[in-house]
Amino acid sequence: MNIWGILADIFTVHLLLATLRLATPIALIALGETFSERVGIINVGVEGTAVLGGLVSALVAYFTGSPLVGLVAGVLSGGLAGALHALWCIRFRANHVVSGIGINILVAGLALFITTAVWGWRGTSSYSDTLNSWYIVGAMFAIIAVSQVFIFHTKWGLRLRVVGEKPEAADTAGINVHRTQYVYTILNGMLCGLAGAFFFNNVGRFTSGMVGGRGFIGIAAMVIGNYTPVGGLGAALLFGFIDALQMRLQPYIPSQFSIMLPYLITVLVLAFLIKRAQVPAALGKHYIKQ
Amino acid sequence: MSAGRGRIRESLASSIQYVRGSTFLKETAITLTSILLAFGIGCIILWAAGYSIPAVFLNLWKGAFGGRLAIGQTLTKATPIILTSLSFLFAFRSGLFNIGAEGQMYIGAITAAVVAAQLQLPIVLHTIVALLAGGMAGAFWGWIPGYLKAKRGVNEFVTTMMLSYVAIGLTDYLVAPRGPLHDPKYQANQTARIALTAQYSRIMPPTQVSWAIVVAGIAVVVVWYYLFRTRSGYELRAVGQSLTAAEYGGVRTKRKLIFALSVAGLLAGIAGAGEVLGTHFRFVDGFSPGYGWDGIAGGLIARAHPVGAIFAALLMGALRAGGMQVQRSGAAPADIAAVLQGLVIFFIIAPSLVRQLARKAGVSGPQWIRHVLRSACGRARSPARRLRDGGGRPTE
Repeated sequence: MNIWGILADIFTVHLLLATLRLATPIALIALGETFSERVGIINVGVEGTAVLGGLVSALVAYFTGSPLVGLVAGVLSGGLAGALHALWCIRFRANHVVSGIGINILVAGLALFITTAVWGWRGTSSYSDTLNSWYIVGAMFAIIAVSQVFIFHTKWGLRLRVVGEKPEAADTAGINVHRTQYVYTILNGMLCGLAGAFFFNNVGRFTSGMVGGRGFIGIAAMVIGNYTPVGGLGAALLFGFIDALQMRLQPYIPSQFSIMLPYLITVLVLAFLIKRAQVPAALGKHYIKQ
Repeated sequence: MSAGRGRIRESLASSIQYVRGSTFLKETAITLTSILLAFGIGCIILWAAGYSIPAVFLNLWKGAFGGRLAIGQTLTKATPIILTSLSFLFAFRSGLFNIGAEGQMYIGAITAAVVAAQLQLPIVLHTIVALLAGGMAGAFWGWIPGYLKAKRGVNEFVTTMMLSYVAIGLTDYLVAPRGPLHDPKYQANQTARIALTAQYSRIMPPTQVSWAIVVAGIAVVVVWYYLFRTRSGYELRAVGQSLTAAEYGGVRTKRKLIFALSVAGLLAGIAGAGEVLGTHFRFVDGFSPGYGWDGIAGGLIARAHPVGAIFAALLMGALRAGGMQVQRSGAAPADIAAVLQGLVIFFIIAPSLVRQLARKAGVSGPQWIRHVLRSACGRARSPARRLRDGGGRPTE
């Protein structure tokens, strides 16, 4: 086959559709991280939170037979992980990154333990009924649009941005800093849970490696998108495209290289394409009420 | 000569001071309480999943410490984790997160495997050359995110992780059936067996414990000495405390950041090389069951102290070895060990929570552990005082 034949084989409408689908979880995670970092809470546990969301939605869908109930449960479990992270960072003043690492390690262990206990295979569930993952893709676009307006054009959005930039000022203005941080960190967890549920519904079963670093790529997408929902979506579409492309490249280059591609591109984009992002001023700091 | 001896004496005195000082006791008490709490919650999870709790813990103990073979297993698994824990905590001390030790290990391991198989050198020298080659390759893999962090402000958390995936994919390609380093004698994804001259000798037959554990021990001492007894190490920790303050204080912070991640990579690379030279005698794809990730947990459990890394790694190695026995006996899946590990971290990173819980449980702070430790350390009092009069001073 000549080069044009190969290119025609790769660049099809399927590539476009796959891009949209693969960008969805990354965009959701980037959006969630945008919310929590805008209020000053770093959450690198998004990777583990997404795994948890996928695991719980697979479990609940398996036991109730309803993928929709599974999806809701997955989102709620993500919220729970977010609440745990918020509690640790705000109440117990743990280092944000360290607490996130804790979530990742704990969930990785739980995923292997629970799959073995329930289905008898280490790290994999059995196949079950799923939702059409396009519903989640559509929901993602709606959520991004609403969030963009919410953050930049409503008083609630202004308040959440102030909390991340100058918590003292927010406090003086009568905003409850800690409550705001709790709310948006939990929201971050729920969005990651939704991303995890998407992974499950997209494949039809849970596997422990299915998130495979997409949580971290989501954080990278947020940085590239300069802490805005629409910017994060743009970066997520780029990573989704790379991911879709590597799948279509599989027959032509060694699979190890195509699998590496998204990770390598992430490093290259971070290294060469972007200038320094506008980081919220109070990011990662513990706010202690005077 | 006498200046050197004075220095050693000073170090010793301050170490003893540190052990007796209340921060050490407090931290140890919190760590032990965290482990107990984690095991308690682990019991609840086991009970909820319908497994027999006594059977699990009995087998966990049996697999980790029940006999020479079990102890050998624990030590073999603890060896690379000591080094990856050092890798994490070294970067952590400079304020950076190296979560890519897994990939740095893979790069170090494959480089060591090539050097150990292809070069012809006399015994001992060959081992050292292979070890250093592996270490340097790992250091290069750590240097990349360090450089990007210092020069372009790229978040090292994401890049170390991404490069880890790249490393695992790259090495997999190299040793896969059509890759350049594949051993044609076998179907498996692995390199050729390394030369006899490069192998670590085993020091506890019939177990796999080898000289790698001695290398890990030396690394602990070197890292400890560097961090707490040299000017450069002091500056590195200053950068970790406050980058801007260190900058005003005249530290070349960018260099320090690059250096910190390079050394972190070096330590992880040595861990990978040790696995090749002492355990498998070749690079096998997927040789690490996650020692790099364990290092993150180990560094945190050690509270970023090099000596603590030994104990944290032993805990992790024991959990891994014990977990296998739990699985073999059919008591529960081996991954209960990973769950316990995650729970320990969660309690350890929130000391105020542990203190509150202990207070609620009726003990004012984890006092009981402090009492036990204080009476155990009490014997060290008089030599400490003698050494202190000889010029030692507490530095911690």
